[in-house]
Amino acid sequence: MNKSKSIFLYNYSFLSLLNLIKKLIQNKIVPNDIKNYDYQANLFDNTINLKVPEDEKVINDIINHFGVNILNIMFKVFLSNEQYKELIIYYFWLYSIKYKNKVVYMRNLKVVNKALKISKYVGKEAHRLKGFLRFSELENNVLYAEMAPENNIIIFLSMHFKKRLKNEFWIIKDVKRGILSVYNKKDYFFINENEYKLLTKNVSNEEKNIRNLWKTFYKNISINERKNIRCQMNFMPKKYWQYITEMRDDNEENYK
Amino acid sequence: MVIEMELIEKLAILADGAKYDASCSSSGSRRISKNTFGNTSFSGICHSFSSDGRCISLLKILMTNCCMFDCKYCLNRKSNDIKRAIFTPEEVCKITINFYKRNYIEGLFLSSGIIKSPDYTMELMIETIELLRKKYHFGGYIHAKAIPKCSEYLLKKLGFLVDRLSANIELPTDEGLKLLAPNKNSSNVNKIMNYINNNKSKKFVPAGQSTQMIIGATKETDLDVMKKSEFMYNKYKLKRVFYSAYVPVNKDKLLPTIKIPPLTRENRLYQADWLLRFYNFKVEDILDKKNPNFNLLLDPKADWALRNLNEFPKEVNTCSYQDLLKIPGVGIVSAKRIIKSRNLFNITFKDLKKMGIVLKRAKYFLTCNGRYFMDINFFKSSFIEKNLILEDKKNITENIEQLTLFNE
Repeated sequence: MNKSKSIFLYNYSFLSLLNLIKKLIQNKIVPNDIKNYDYQANLFDNTINLKVPEDEKVINDIINHFGVNILNIMFKVFLSNEQYKELIIYYFWLYSIKYKNKVVYMRNLKVVNKALKISKYVGKEAHRLKGFLRFSELENNVLYAEMAPENNIIIFLSMHFKKRLKNEFWIIKDVKRGILSVYNKKDYFFINENEYKLLTKNVSNEEKNIRNLWKTFYKNISINERKNIRCQMNFMPKKYWQYITEMRDDNEENYK
Repeated sequence: MVIEMELIEKLAILADGAKYDASCSSSGSRRISKNTFGNTSFSGICHSFSSDGRCISLLKILMTNCCMFDCKYCLNRKSNDIKRAIFTPEEVCKITINFYKRNYIEGLFLSSGIIKSPDYTMELMIETIELLRKKYHFGGYIHAKAIPKCSEYLLKKLGFLVDRLSANIELPTDEGLKLLAPNKNSSNVNKIMNYINNNKSKKFVPAGQSTQMIIGATKETDLDVMKKSEFMYNKYKLKRVFYSAYVPVNKDKLLPTIKIPPLTRENRLYQADWLLRFYNFKVEDILDKKNPNFNLLLDPKADWALRNLNEFPKEVNTCSYQDLLKIPGVGIVSAKRIIKSRNLFNITFKDLKKMGIVLKRAKYFLTCNGRYFMDINFFKSSFIEKNLILEDKKNITENIEQLTLFNE
């Protein structure tokens, strides 16, 4: 008996993954796993690269057949940190064929429930970071922010700040993934940290004063008689504190 | 450098004076950035959480903490010997713009002590907000306090500049106000609420109005408080009523001597407020003259359900949406999910958990396909009450300490 696992490979992108899954479903192939090109195969793996062309038509297919909501769920699962996210999207797709847009009410199915949970978690983290992200003003007037989210949510933040800070130059860096989103007052683009060098990391003259004003406000707005650190940490988990101005000690401020 | 020192001290004083206002919501407005600096997010965004666990969304400050009034409970009252400060409009703009740019805040919440006269104070606030909107083209969220007894034309002007406008009723009855806030009376606040409600539009106070009541500074019952809320929600279409547990900042023989704010009571009022706004409850369903205060050991919905146990258990696979909402542990979102899902399959206890129902509360009040989660002979008020309280035991041990102090 053949014990090797068939693992199908795709070219990193969401589009590539969707085209691969479409192909697998059309040919009634049930994969043991789906991974991107970085996957380190072990002895028993049988890695298969179908080299499916990246056709944008697949996006419309999904929207037309299942609705835009289903596409959004798949996209958010894709951006998550989940180990088997590709396989979850594959099975979620299969159930979407059966239940169409009503698949989101089929929480009794394990995979569907999982996909919905992951999608919600990714959306929640994106929403949280719209609040928790902190820009510093660099000496060349660029606003610069670093973050280390669990999920790859830089695209949601970029869309948000493109609208909000449309007349500023800004750069957001996902430190965990080494990706930067660079906005030039017209549009943002994503670039690998190895391919982009910041002109300066020195902050503007005003930056320190403004940070001190903010820290003063932060301290004074709290009501001591109501102190509730557990509640604070529930809403603003400690894992984010490193990049939140008011939660850092003055002497550990990065990018001076 | 000296100027910076002054500004930081002002900010410390004027944030300190503003912090007892509970509202920090930044939702309900769709201000789209065209040529402006910044926009608003309809759902609102929390930017930070202070060490008391409250959300920080707006730069919540006073224009000045100088005040002509002498409200007994207020830190900024005339008779208090504290440091006083006043911002210039430019200073407020500078801080707001710089905080917003760095994504510290969603916008500004400007309130004020009453200096010289209500109209003078309003004019100062309007000058500041106008500068922010017109010179700095600020498109972020602005919440302003309306000053009671101000002229109507100023209210009108301010309303077109801000997203939310609010006036605090402070205490639920006129007797309470007379006792603790002799310079205030409810008819002045009602006048403001009425004006805002009659003129609300997409351009005028688009995010609606809210108000606040202080809890535990006077003898009023929860029934008094909730009756007042219900009245204001119906009459003035308020977006929110905030409840602020009384924090003893002043010593006065008219004020209660408590050490810790009545936080559990505040929490119960918020829970009941939700029941009024989203769950179609009426005040008389949950409180009456015989029981004018909430049970501090149980949330209002569970408490209501136990007193009306004859309406339960509800069958999740067949009962109406309104009935689902009555089940403790079932919220709006999960009730909607149940309705959609049960058309597709028969819901079991296991599924309920996946759908986000808080089973440790809900299980006592429902059946799945005719089955109760345990022997139906245990479906008794005393048994359920005991178990619900046991489930919450962890919270309760903390709260008991507060309760005993509160009752001193």
